[in-house]
Amino acid sequence: MEKLSLSLATLLALTAAAAADTLLLRGATVHTVSHGILAPGDVLIKDERIAAVAAHLDQPADRTLDLQGLHLFPGLISAATDLGLVEISGIRASLDDQETGEFTPEIQSWTAVNPDSELIPVTRANGITHFVPVPGGKLLAGTSGLLAARGWTLEDMTLRRQTAMHLFWPDHSLNIPGPNAAEKTKSLEDQSRERLERVRTIEDFFREAEAWQKRTPGSPTVPAWEAMGPVVRGELPLMIHAQGLREIRAALQWSALRPQLRVVLEGGRDAWILAKEIAERKIPVIYSEVFALPASSADAYDVQFRAPAVLHQAGVVTAISEGLGRFSASSQRNLPYSAAQAAAFGLPPEAALAAITLIPAQIHGMGDTLGSIEPGKDASLFAATGDILDIRSVVKHLWISGVAQSLATRHTRLAERYRSRPQAK
Amino acid sequence: MLWAVLAASPLAAAEPLRPPASRPLPGSVHALVGGRVVSQPGRVLEKGTILLTDGRIAAVGPDAAIPPNAEIHDMTGTTIYAGFIDAHLSLSAKGSAHPAATAEIDAPQQNRLTSGAGMGFPGAPSAAGGPSAHSVVTPERRMSREYAPEPKELESLRAEGFTAANLVPDRGVIRGTSTLASLSSSAADAAILRPDTFQHIALDVPAPEEGSGSKPEAYPGSLMGVIAVIRQTFCDAQFQAADTAHYVAHPNERPRPAFNESLEALMPAARQTLPVLFEPGGVLMVDRAMQLSREFGLQPIILATGQEWRRLDLARAAGVPFIVPVDFPEAVKLPEADDWVALSADQLRAWDQAPSNPALLRREGLEIALTTHGLGKPNRFRHNVRLAIARGLSESDALAALTTAPAKMCGLSDQLGRIEPGLLAHLTVVENGGYFDPEARVREVWIDGQRFASPLPAEEKKPAKKPAEAEKPDQPDPKKELEALRAQLTAAPAQQDRGPLLAPPAIFIKSATVWTSGPQGRLDGASVLIVDGKVRAVGAIDPVDVPTSALVIDRPGIHVTPGLIDCHSHSMIIGGVNEGTLPSTAMVRIGDVVNSEVETIHQQLAGGLTTANLLHGSANPIGGQSCVIKLRDGASPEELKLKGAPGGIKFALGENVKQSNWGDNFRSRFPQSRMGVPAFHTNRFTAAKQYAEALASQQRLGGPPVRRDLELETLAEIIRGERLIHCHSYRQDEVLVFLRVMESFGVRVATLQHILEGYKVADEIAKHGAGASSFSDWWAYKLEVFDAIPDAGSIMRERGVLVSFNSDSSDHARRLNFEAAKAVKYGATPEAEALKFVTLNPAKQLGIDQWVGSLEPGKDGDFAIWSGHPFDTRSVCQETWIDGKQYFQIDAAQRRAAARQKERLALVAKAKTLSGDAPADPATAKAQAKFFYRALEDRQSHRCLDCCLDHQMPWKN
Repeated sequence: MEKLSLSLATLLALTAAAAADTLLLRGATVHTVSHGILAPGDVLIKDERIAAVAAHLDQPADRTLDLQGLHLFPGLISAATDLGLVEISGIRASLDDQETGEFTPEIQSWTAVNPDSELIPVTRANGITHFVPVPGGKLLAGTSGLLAARGWTLEDMTLRRQTAMHLFWPDHSLNIPGPNAAEKTKSLEDQSRERLERVRTIEDFFREAEAWQKRTPGSPTVPAWEAMGPVVRGELPLMIHAQGLREIRAALQWSALRPQLRVVLEGGRDAWILAKEIAERKIPVIYSEVFALPASSADAYDVQFRAPAVLHQAGVVTAISEGLGRFSASSQRNLPYSAAQAAAFGLPPEAALAAITLIPAQIHGMGDTLGSIEPGKDASLFAATGDILDIRSVVKHLWISGVAQSLATRHTRLAERYRSRPQAK
Repeated sequence: MLWAVLAASPLAAAEPLRPPASRPLPGSVHALVGGRVVSQPGRVLEKGTILLTDGRIAAVGPDAAIPPNAEIHDMTGTTIYAGFIDAHLSLSAKGSAHPAATAEIDAPQQNRLTSGAGMGFPGAPSAAGGPSAHSVVTPERRMSREYAPEPKELESLRAEGFTAANLVPDRGVIRGTSTLASLSSSAADAAILRPDTFQHIALDVPAPEEGSGSKPEAYPGSLMGVIAVIRQTFCDAQFQAADTAHYVAHPNERPRPAFNESLEALMPAARQTLPVLFEPGGVLMVDRAMQLSREFGLQPIILATGQEWRRLDLARAAGVPFIVPVDFPEAVKLPEADDWVALSADQLRAWDQAPSNPALLRREGLEIALTTHGLGKPNRFRHNVRLAIARGLSESDALAALTTAPAKMCGLSDQLGRIEPGLLAHLTVVENGGYFDPEARVREVWIDGQRFASPLPAEEKKPAKKPAEAEKPDQPDPKKELEALRAQLTAAPAQQDRGPLLAPPAIFIKSATVWTSGPQGRLDGASVLIVDGKVRAVGAIDPVDVPTSALVIDRPGIHVTPGLIDCHSHSMIIGGVNEGTLPSTAMVRIGDVVNSEVETIHQQLAGGLTTANLLHGSANPIGGQSCVIKLRDGASPEELKLKGAPGGIKFALGENVKQSNWGDNFRSRFPQSRMGVPAFHTNRFTAAKQYAEALASQQRLGGPPVRRDLELETLAEIIRGERLIHCHSYRQDEVLVFLRVMESFGVRVATLQHILEGYKVADEIAKHGAGASSFSDWWAYKLEVFDAIPDAGSIMRERGVLVSFNSDSSDHARRLNFEAAKAVKYGATPEAEALKFVTLNPAKQLGIDQWVGSLEPGKDGDFAIWSGHPFDTRSVCQETWIDGKQYFQIDAAQRRAAARQKERLALVAKAKTLSGDAPADPATAKAQAKFFYRALEDRQSHRCLDCCLDHQMPWKN
């Protein structure tokens, strides 16, 4: 069965290379995300777009694929990840996810994505069709792009070069030495002052960026200031990475003074505590901490599992991600299970699915193109044996922009090879 | 200099006449008349006379006869106690005469003391390491040789009423002996009352050297390493004694034993002629100190950690004297409201509970002595003792804890601690009431018959508005109110919301989908009966067989599985997961450092986990001994252990043991390549064989005793088939070579851990008979895991390997059922078989399947109840039971969290009220720093997979 679907996928990939072409996907349970569930439903793909979605479609198609018994989902979107920038996290030479320096707004993550990363097919094989690699850094790190999990070159892959500017909010935690520590730490008062100074550094940078945009014509170009233009004009979202309550609170306070900024909160471990304010400010959250351990022993064991539900209930537009860091790239295929855990702990299932499809698309400015199964949208979707939030479901077909993608990976190749190893003597 | 020696030296009678121009010696007979004499706790003479002669108490009574040559002192209005004794005093560094006295021992000797292997490993510094390193085993250090206190330190102690103190050595693991001295003089000959009081042993995380983490550390680098060092050193002392005895009997027939000053110095402790004072780093180490004492026949005294309130059961069980500090933390004013978020509930609890600790220990029937230890300057001592009294310590017990109890502990109750004829003339004289009254002041102390007057109190500056205040006597005193607030206890008892929620005599699950993981497979609409903590029946059960006392669980749609088992956990370990210093640390034991107090137990129970294999990290080819526990939340470390579980040990191969990812400073320890790993294993197993042969030959033929070597002893257990190897491994080549090396010693490997390339050599693993304990789908985090595939578990199972999935993470341990589901997804393993990956199979791998792993009659009543199919991500764990007792219930967990949140808020409010400004005096600064102290049990939570970067984790803070 596995083999059959693989060869079918290869066939489709070959035929799709030819021009003008329609494909009718018939009989699957269609999770449109935007318009509920059609059980069953038909989806017509024309070239790279979805042409029609209905309970039953009579249009003729070049090809028809019977998906009865399968579930059709829009391609999942990794809203913030190291995928593409990291191959083997333990090997420095394979890492391109961090730059040095505090203010590097001209950095663009798409420029370093390795199209031949072995991690991309592995991720894709579990339904993730698009991803947003985030440039890491100390403070203002640069912009993320949105890429498809397929393509011969990074230009092929990149749908949008700049989807958001990334600001890593400075750590506000207290530095407290043990009673017998030899080293002398700064007094709490000094630390308090330093926190304010860090925020002032950010504020200064934004003020200067704004001032530079009003420069007289003909003044020399400064790439960094130029890169800040769309951010300070509110054209490009500013994604603030913050986990702790006080970092989030400080970020909210700072950004409140600049209403023109389009702020998105990423990480957001304690964001649920401030859910009301975040909802009122209409700040979307990309929540990455479903499986974080509770920060305090006074917290309920499930405080992080429940956080997306709390945010959603308060009216916050909530996406879910696997977060950044050492295991982000290699574990990206587990994205649906973070959403699933949130669903098991109170997030409505449809909101959990939207949190890894339509909402990430919207946050990254691609809501008109990606994230749901709707006529006119990009035909990036997949068929699985069950609900994609259920670990046991297996992805059987996957299309990106109307092109069927191979589900073969380094893993399936190795599995196939060693399953066929003759019995050792 | 406000002190004045006004009276005769006790040596006056013996001292020859001084030359002219020296101050002539006064008489040595004194009569203290008219004071209230508390001769010992509970015995008071309202108006009495104390007669002192030549430094001793000659008489006490209402009408003691006063000889004509006596100098008469009017004590009217004072209360006189026996002189106070501080049984645990650390001098400041400059008060020690020979600070570097112990750095001179030659390196090989120290190496032998601290390295379990009896020899240094190339490239791995032991405590003897470089020339600058201090040994941590210095039993020969004697504080009597270093007695040189600053006069000011003596003065400040006398001002608190102390007349004698036991000066303790303050660094290392086996630290040396303390000395009991009068606080009269800086001269050792005059002051020392008892040269060796206790041998001191610290059971704490080793202090990190500067810049550690980026360069190799000396052994021991972890708490379990410290304990192994103590154990090996006492074994060495026993050996030294036996070997010397043998030599004396056969002086001309055998090699001469080496002289070893350190071991000689340890003999009195080993022979119980000198008590051992243990300084535990946390309350769990109190119990460890007792275990070690029993193991080696020591006579223990415990320096209280101040954290005994966490587990009074362990303190009570110790049943030995405690020397109790009163260095209570004080709340600090934090500059910003959000700063309070940084204080954990545990830190706040510790701050609030601290003053109750002395009373709680006393209430457990323990003998206690109070000490200024930890206060820095002792001037807060009386204040804090009064706080302890406000929290329930009786004044009489407090007085005993300053006089009779420390005198007894220090072995001088015939000389000190009471006002009785014949005892040394040590007296503490207090005016303005008793010592524990708020306005009291120590007027003077008498030491060996000499009077030391307290410094005159500084002229009090009276505030100008004082008269105005006096007009409003009803105005409450804000200072008193704060003191009253501090005297109240707000925190909940540490064990209040822990332990079983339900413990019914029997449990009857009426109808559920039961995943037995046993021969019955999955049963729909089945019943489960558990009686006396054991499974009685599974399947169709006749209601008449159900005891009437049974708790009936009857909820539609539930699924029941055996309690989940994690074959690879580092979660409940204190003081370091890795003893990553030496390449072989077979002598260290996770069982010595099980952390019963950590919140992750609750969190993992909430995921249906009931049993965990606690493993040493993977920093060395031969790691430490492992420990299998059940997650009986609230139980002590010893009670957590699964009795009867076979011993285990962690081994490791590949990148971690060759230190590939440790940084440039780690390039000399052997092995540095995969070629070196089998060579190393072969070397140690050969050594173990030779060791076992030497022991056997000695038993058979006699001859000189063989030194007990805890490393080789452990390896010999493996060779005898008595200890299971759990070997961290990734690449197929290293796996095969390891199996072959072990086969050459006749050893079957119990499990290959991680074993991410095991699918490539599944047949060989199956043939060898090793189990595979794997991750479900982790890969690509380092080079040796780039060929990891999520089908690995399934492929190995298909080829006949016994497979489990483990967590290696405090997070994944909360959802092993979902890890198992990945075997269904990627490898098409049947569901019931996949569930065995986290139930029966790990139980078999750990040799505990006779008790746990499946729901079969006779096995332990360990199970989890799920809202739906255990692999369905929509399902949640509703209840977790161990031994027929309920340890997790989903609604109770919410109530528990709500109560803790409420308690935390109350504690924050209280701390805010009581918080003081940035301190002017160093004693307050020290107390305020303790506000942020993190208890040993609360310091780490292991989250990292692969357990390799653990040495960079900040658990040593």
